[in-house]
Amino acid sequence: MIIQEYCMYCGACAGVCVADAIDVQELKIVVDDEKCTKCGLCVKACPVAALSLE
Amino acid sequence: MDYTTDILVVGAGPSGSLAAREAAKNGADVILIDLKSEIGSPKRCAEGVSKQGLIDLGIQPDKRWIARKSNGVRLVSPDQTSVWLSEDTIELPESGFVLERKVFDKHMAMDAARAGAKIMIKTRATSLERVDDGIVVTANKMGEEIKIHAHIVIAADGPGSRIGRWAGLDCNTKFNNMESCVQYEMAGLEMENNNVIQLYFGTVAPGGYTWIFPKGEDIANVGIGVLKTHTDKTAIELLDEFIKNCPETQHAQPVEINVGGDPVGGLIEERYGDNILVVGDAAGFVNPLTGGGINTALESGVYAGIVAAQAITDGDYSKKNLKEYYNLTKENIGKNYDKYKKAKEYLLSLNDDELNDIAHEFVKVDIDEISPKTLVKLLIKVSPKALLKLGKLF
Ligand SMILES: Cc1cc2nc3c(=O)[nH]c(=O)nc-3n(C[C@H](O)[C@H](O)[C@H](O)COP(=O)(O)OP(=O)(O)OC[C@H]3O[C@@H](n4cnc5c(N)ncnc54)[C@H](O)[C@@H]3O)c2cc1C
Ligand code: SF4
Ligand code: SF4
Repeated sequence: MIIQEYCMYCGACAGVCVADAIDVQELKIVVDDEKCTKCGLCVKACPVAALSLE
Repeated sequence: MDYTTDILVVGAGPSGSLAAREAAKNGADVILIDLKSEIGSPKRCAEGVSKQGLIDLGIQPDKRWIARKSNGVRLVSPDQTSVWLSEDTIELPESGFVLERKVFDKHMAMDAARAGAKIMIKTRATSLERVDDGIVVTANKMGEEIKIHAHIVIAADGPGSRIGRWAGLDCNTKFNNMESCVQYEMAGLEMENNNVIQLYFGTVAPGGYTWIFPKGEDIANVGIGVLKTHTDKTAIELLDEFIKNCPETQHAQPVEINVGGDPVGGLIEERYGDNILVVGDAAGFVNPLTGGGINTALESGVYAGIVAAQAITDGDYSKKNLKEYYNLTKENIGKNYDKYKKAKEYLLSLNDDELNDIAHEFVKVDIDEISPKTLVKLLIKVSPKALLKLGKLF
C-alpha cells in the first residue's frame, strides 16, 4: 500500500476494511501487509485519494 | 503501568464523553481514553446539531461552543431551484446550532471529568484481550505501554472503529454504507442567507449531498458526502468542482480541511456483547438520511453509561444483563432510523430531472403550510414512486 503524505488520519479507510488491517494513529496510519487482502475498498473510500495499491 | 477500573471508555468524542459522564454519575469507576493530543481536534464534522436534542440530554447551551444559530434549511435542486424550510413550521433533524466542535467536544469531556471520570489523552488502544471477569485493553499512553483492566468496555471509537471487532462483534461499517466526506471551513463566502443550513442534491454529490453550514457572517463549513458505490470520482474532486461553480463559494478561501467517513447504514445489530457496548458512529448511530450523528452519539452514550453503571452495581457484565442498552437504543433511536433509511433510499432513486420537478412543485407551496405530511403528499403528486417508498412512513 502506498500512503500519500497528505493523509489526514481520519480512519474512513480503517472503518471499511474487513480485514482490520489499518491502524489509525494520531498522525500516522499503518497498513498491515500480512492482513491486507488487497481488496481495494480503502482506496475507494478515502475522500482525498491518499491510498493506492502498489 | 497497569490500571484497574469498572468501565473503560475508548474514544472521547460526543458518544464516549457522555457515556463516561453518565457511568461516573451513576457511581462507577470510569477511565476515558483518546488517542488525540487535543480532544475535539481535528474536527471531522459540519457541526450542525439539534438544539432540543442537546437540552433533552441535560447539556445546557453555552456560547463558547455555539458558532451560529440556524433557523431553517435551504434545499437546492440540480437546476438551482431553492426550497426554503423554516424551523418554525417543520421540525428539522440536526439543526438549530452550528457548533464549534473543537470546543464542544472538550466541554463534554470536561463534564465527564467533573462527574468523576479519569481521562487519559494521547492514549491509544492497541489491542484487547478477554479475561475471566472482563477485558484487558493494551494502550499506548504517551509512548508508554499500559494495560487497563475493566469489567466493561464502551467502544466509542468513531467511524474507523475497531474495538468492537476486537471484542468479537460483527460491527464494522460496510463499504456501501460509508459516506466518503471532505469539507473546507472557508471565509469570504457570499451567502444569500447566512442563517440557514444549505443542502445541494443531485449529481453534484452522488449518493449524498453537498452542504454549506454557516458559522459566521461570511464563514461556513462547505463540504460533501458521497457514496463510492455511486461514483468513481473522489469526494474532494467533486467538492472542488462545486466550490468553483457555486456563486456563494467561488470567492471564498479555505482555512481548514476536514476528511472523514460517515456510516449511514443504520444501527448495527451487534452493538453489545459480554463486557462490551458499542456507541456512536462505531455502532452506526448516524441518521441515514442526513448523515447527522452528533445528537444520537450523545444519546447512545447516555444509555450505555447508565446501563453499564447498573451492570457494575449488579456485578453482572454479561450480554444478557447489558441487553437493556440494545432495547433502549432500538426503541428511542432505531425506529426513527428505519424511516429515514427508507427516505434515503427513495432520495437516491431520483435522477436530476425528478429532483428538479419535485423542487418546482415545492416552491409553489406556502411555506407556512409545510409539514411532513404535506411534503409527502406533494411528493406523491409529482413523483408517484414516492407512494410506494414513503406513503406509509410519515
Ligand atoms: C465531514 C463530516 C461531516 C459531518 N457533519 C455532521 C453534522 O453536521 N451534524 C452531525 O450531527 N453529524 C455530522 N457528522 C457525523 C458526526 O461527526 C459523528 O456522528 C460524531 O462525531 C460521532 O461521534 P462519536 O463520539 O461516535 O465519534 P467521534 O467523534 O469520531 O470520536 C471518536 C473518538 O475516538 C478516538 N479513537 C478512535 N480510535 C481510538 C483508539 N484506538 N484509542 C483511543 N481513542 C480512539 C478518536 O480519536 C476520536 O476522538 C459528520 C461527519 C463527517 C465525516
Ligand atoms: S481515509 Fe484517506 S485520509 Fe483518511 S486515514 Fe485513510 S488514507 Fe488517510
Ligand atoms: S486493500 Fe482491503 S484489506 Fe487491504 S487495507 Fe485496504 S480495505 Fe483492508
